[in-house]
Amino acid sequence: MKSLIVICVLMHLAFCKTNTDAIDKNIVNAKIERKIDISSHLVKTSTSVTLENKGTSSVRSFLFSIEPLLKNSIAYVGATSKDDKEKLDVSPTTVSGHSDKTFYRVTLRSALDAGKTTIVDVEAIFSHVLRPYPSEIAQAEKQLVVLEANLYFYSPYPTTSQTTTVITTSSNVESYTKTKPVSQSDTSIIYGPYEDKAAFSEAPLKVHEENNSPFLTVTSMERVVEVSHWGNIAVEEHIDMTHTGASLKGSFSRFDYQRQQDGMASIKTFKTSLPASARDVYYRDEIGNISTSHMREMDESVEVELRPRFPLFGGWKTRYFLGYNVPSYEYLFFKDDHYALKLRFIDHIYDDMVVDKMQLRIILPEGVKNIELKIPFDVKRQGDQVHYTYLDTLGRPVVVLNKNNLVEQHIQDFELHYTFQRLLLLQEPLLVVGAFYLLFLVVIIYVRLDFAITKDEAKESRMRVAGFIDEVQNAHDRRSALYQSYDDAINKFKSNKDAAAFSAGRKKIDADYKQLTQQIQNIQAQLKAEGAEASEKVAELQRLDSLYKEQIGLAIMSAEKLVSGKMGRQQYLDAEAATSSKCDDTYKKMESLRSTL
Amino acid sequence: MADTDLVVRQDIRSAMWNPGGWKSLLTFFILALAWLAGFSARLFAVIRFESIIHEFDPWFNYRATHYMVENGFYNFLNWFDDRAWYPLGRIVGGTVYPGLMVTSGSIHWFLNLLHIPVHIRDICVFLAPIFSGMTSMSVFLFTKEIWNPGAGLFAACFIAIVPGYISRSVAGSYDNEGIAIFALMFTYYLWIKAVKTGQVFWSICSALSYFYMVSAWGGYVFIINLVPLHVFVLLLMGRYSQRIYTSYTCFYIVGLVLSMQIPFVGFQPIRTSEHMAAAGVFALLNAYAFLRYIQNFLTKAEFRYFFIAAVTCAAAIVFVAVVGLTWAGYIAPWSGRFYSLWDTGYAKIHIPIIASVSEHQPTTWVSFFFDLHILVCAFPVGAWYCIKNVNDERVFVVLYAIFASYFAGVMVRLMLTLTPVVCVLAAIAFSKTFEVYLKDDSPKSSQKGGDENGDNKNDRLYDKVGNKKKIRDDKPKDDEGLGINVKSIIIVALLMMLMLFAVHCTWVTSSAYSSPSIVLASYGQGGSRTILDDFREAYYWLRQNTHDKARIMSWWDYGYQIAGMGNRTTLVDNNTWNNSHIALVGKAMSSNESAAYEIMRTLDVNYVLVIFGGVIGYSGDDINKFLWMVRIAEGEHPKDIREVDYFTPQGEFRVDSAGSKTLLNCLMYKLSYYRFGQLQLDFRSPAGFDRTRGVEIGNKNFDLTYLEEAYTTEHWLVRIYKVKDLENRKKLIHPHKPIIKSKRKSLRGGKKTGVIRNKSKVVKGRKPKAGSASSSRSSKSKK
Repeated sequence: MKSLIVICVLMHLAFCKTNTDAIDKNIVNAKIERKIDISSHLVKTSTSVTLENKGTSSVRSFLFSIEPLLKNSIAYVGATSKDDKEKLDVSPTTVSGHSDKTFYRVTLRSALDAGKTTIVDVEAIFSHVLRPYPSEIAQAEKQLVVLEANLYFYSPYPTTSQTTTVITTSSNVESYTKTKPVSQSDTSIIYGPYEDKAAFSEAPLKVHEENNSPFLTVTSMERVVEVSHWGNIAVEEHIDMTHTGASLKGSFSRFDYQRQQDGMASIKTFKTSLPASARDVYYRDEIGNISTSHMREMDESVEVELRPRFPLFGGWKTRYFLGYNVPSYEYLFFKDDHYALKLRFIDHIYDDMVVDKMQLRIILPEGVKNIELKIPFDVKRQGDQVHYTYLDTLGRPVVVLNKNNLVEQHIQDFELHYTFQRLLLLQEPLLVVGAFYLLFLVVIIYVRLDFAITKDEAKESRMRVAGFIDEVQNAHDRRSALYQSYDDAINKFKSNKDAAAFSAGRKKIDADYKQLTQQIQNIQAQLKAEGAEASEKVAELQRLDSLYKEQIGLAIMSAEKLVSGKMGRQQYLDAEAATSSKCDDTYKKMESLRSTL
Repeated sequence: MADTDLVVRQDIRSAMWNPGGWKSLLTFFILALAWLAGFSARLFAVIRFESIIHEFDPWFNYRATHYMVENGFYNFLNWFDDRAWYPLGRIVGGTVYPGLMVTSGSIHWFLNLLHIPVHIRDICVFLAPIFSGMTSMSVFLFTKEIWNPGAGLFAACFIAIVPGYISRSVAGSYDNEGIAIFALMFTYYLWIKAVKTGQVFWSICSALSYFYMVSAWGGYVFIINLVPLHVFVLLLMGRYSQRIYTSYTCFYIVGLVLSMQIPFVGFQPIRTSEHMAAAGVFALLNAYAFLRYIQNFLTKAEFRYFFIAAVTCAAAIVFVAVVGLTWAGYIAPWSGRFYSLWDTGYAKIHIPIIASVSEHQPTTWVSFFFDLHILVCAFPVGAWYCIKNVNDERVFVVLYAIFASYFAGVMVRLMLTLTPVVCVLAAIAFSKTFEVYLKDDSPKSSQKGGDENGDNKNDRLYDKVGNKKKIRDDKPKDDEGLGINVKSIIIVALLMMLMLFAVHCTWVTSSAYSSPSIVLASYGQGGSRTILDDFREAYYWLRQNTHDKARIMSWWDYGYQIAGMGNRTTLVDNNTWNNSHIALVGKAMSSNESAAYEIMRTLDVNYVLVIFGGVIGYSGDDINKFLWMVRIAEGEHPKDIREVDYFTPQGEFRVDSAGSKTLLNCLMYKLSYYRFGQLQLDFRSPAGFDRTRGVEIGNKNFDLTYLEEAYTTEHWLVRIYKVKDLENRKKLIHPHKPIIKSKRKSLRGGKKTGVIRNKSKVVKGRKPKAGSASSSRSSKSKK
């Protein structure tokens, strides 16, 4: 279903381009009121056209044409009907036999019946029509410009009555065409009314006036929109601009510029409006941050006052980057896996802006499919590109749109529909996790396995020694535990006086003890074979151990004597104190020796 | 059983680095913190301003790196830069140490491979801080080899924050020194390791590291002289061993071959006197080894006779060979820069261009303290410890200390090579002191036993264990007299000093070494900050609004910046390889306008750029540098330019009405002060009051004949003038114009020159004065 709609839209667009119309002989312009506004560096014409259908059948649309003189400068054509102020559909078209002219078809809201009239306001905006004359001025001089246009309304239909008003910047008009009837008031020159002009009638109109408004032109710009599904949309604009007014002749004097504030035609600063939610705005160029800018946050927009590094005089140019972030929830809408990005095609750069050439690049997240574009005016779409940034594997699709000659009226939203699997959001975090996992795994493997290609005897020996020492320590710990059990057995024997049980228990402990001592002895022999210093320490340990064992033997003997009554109580206590203090002493020594092994 | 085996093995492996897991963890943690502290201390400029390349030379390095990243390594090596030294050009690939560019280029390449799109500028800006972390790692390793890991940690922390090193490695200071100090210390570490082990592996490693150093900085000469010197001194001390023979021969041969791979170095290692010491020591070492071998076969008496004969012969042959080769031109004699290291007055007389650079001035005592603070006091103590407990490695560090101190005294710039060794030796001093005073020697036998054990382990790494053990054993006995109070007082005092050191480092870094010098900031009364961005304003104007092939004449200081930020052709730049070209520019700046115009026409100059600080009181402007231009010009053109002409008869350099007429009419004066005479800065001072020099200028109302103001920045800091075309060229463009008109034009031109002639009358009147001035000077010199 969706694709069908796309095809329809595409076909519609395609038809628009190759549209052909015929000139309807029955339509007559009953009354034309035309205003040509040249107070800025643009030429804005707004024409109120009173159409009359003199035929017998109703008419659905009419043609608006542009004279050959201006046809290359047209930036925008729009129409509204006078009655309900509704926008009318305007599309470019051609007429056979008039290939040198440019036509636009304006579709009326309701068909115009025979004999009826209707009023339509047509707005057309032209750039680079005003020509600075003289083309070079000195710093202190004023800028004069010439308008050359058609005195009459250029129409494929005959015109009954028409007036033209030229709105000038100031009353300072050097000269103007004086085809009567004409009158000049403060800032306007009124021509007409002229009666009954044939279709496509032309006569020169020339106005030479002072115009110090900034003739600022964006010669080319690149707007990059990077969409992240993590909640951010980053916008960056690379803008090349030139002062296209009368170029500066001779020198630039900073002294005069500071003192007299002359150089009226120069551009010191201009204001750019960004969306209200714009954050992290930056303004820089190839060699760094441009520190001369101010930002003001207002309710409906963020206003940035940009000052180029140097004032722009005629013919001077500059280049800068302006970037900001906006939260994606305001511009990105979704239902299930279907997403729609609704964003301005171009931002406001400065009042009455002119953009000669523009490229919009929309970088979508990785894994986006089925991209469809809806846009209110004609653009040239290049083939999609691929862009790689942080952690990308397959690359992000980039939609590239080109358009020439844009003005303020082109600040309109475009819509970009696409599908995106939401699980793909996790791809990049998982990638990082996987990479770290792999790294740790490699480290673990490296630490645990021996990759040496040669045997290092010394190191091997050291390792073996360390192993033996560990074993000795284990054995010794167990042996220390046995000492405790000797003590326990003696105490038990003293209390219950069961000689048989005691000797049985003692034998068992003796066996364990012998085994452990033998084990340590063996290890000591092996250590000696390795030639380690530790073997001496182990020998010392053994020696201390035998001392300890001796004391235990004494303790047992005196305990047996006590039980059998061969020894007095006091005597026994003295003997026990002596042995236990010796035992403690030896034990401490052994422990310290053990820990320094 | 297998389990225990594994555990044991793992323990052993970690024990190879450091005994005890906690110890290595602590070491790791301290080093990581040192790295972090060093990195963040260097970010003042980035935080205050922005991520931008600083100063002058870094701009060239950045431009070269950018070129390499865009065009590839081989195109970079073959790069002929037609935007510098117009009309000569510069073969960049053959006149640059490519290590820096290759390093950041490969980081950039690697990150891009991982699809991390970092701009090359950011890599360049942050390269030096990152490498400072690596420097502190290598200083740690070095000190660990020289003394012990504890001192190593001290040294790593010191080098991370010491201002003497920070001065060359703040973020944005993208210069050779930033990576070279790392390479230097790492080479030394590997060399010490090689000497200690006598393994070919370590000496090859040190040769590779030396190769990196050669590719990074001209200071590699320091290594290739210090290492042979170390070997030589070891020979003299009778410490010759197989280890030294192996390590030096491997290092020298591999290092020599590798160093010759750098195009800029080329055949220098075998053809210049700076490298001859290394070759000589190589020969000597081999001869010595041979004698030792012979000794096995001879009796003592025979050997003595043989020894004397052999040594005399060898010395004579080497001497004759070196002299002969030098005389024949195969070996270049010492270069001027090298002489200036031994004779501090040499550069001032013979090479004014070297003397004109502020960082080539002799160091003052203050700057030692400023750059090193407490370390400079502790440094001799460490050296003394090293001398007292001498072994093969410590001989090296002592030699390093002696020579680096000397060089640092000769040139401010070489403070940089001194800094690491000061950190190492101060760390040894501190570590030793702390070892003595922090040791808990209350009678706790087991604890003490453990400590001693640890000490022994360290000591075992060095020779003469026996001697030292005695000292060690003696010491605690002495110390036992010290009460716990004395100890804690000393420790607190030391800690206070270290704390003050850290405070000082931060303060110096933030106040002295963190200005990008391209962006200036001034502070208003309310503490508000205004940024003066005039340099970039002017350079960007050049970039955008002049012809792509426009030639800009300026003093050489700004050459790299004009090329880097303005992307325009310059006549001279900071790579001061052609003195006469610089002198020509100096001559143009110091001549009067018409003479300068001749020079500028011959040099095809389109624009002239001067720096003028009179409006905001910026002291580093061209008028203050002007005398060096005159001096350098005088060196090449003594007939046309004389320094005395620019002084008043009293010998003062002044720009007010009492100043010399030559000065008040020279091009530099006129370009700096054009229309400044009309500018009144505030109501208290007269019009044309120069804030930098604090005077009202002497020559106020003049016009430029051959130049016109093309652009002046907001605060008048940079002024750019356009050189006008010849008058008659216009006539050729409009040949249809009536002849009378053009005649009138030429007449008008004549009138203009008439004005000049009037002034030149004054010049004529002055001439005998100048003569007398020069004669007075000559008489002075006779006296």
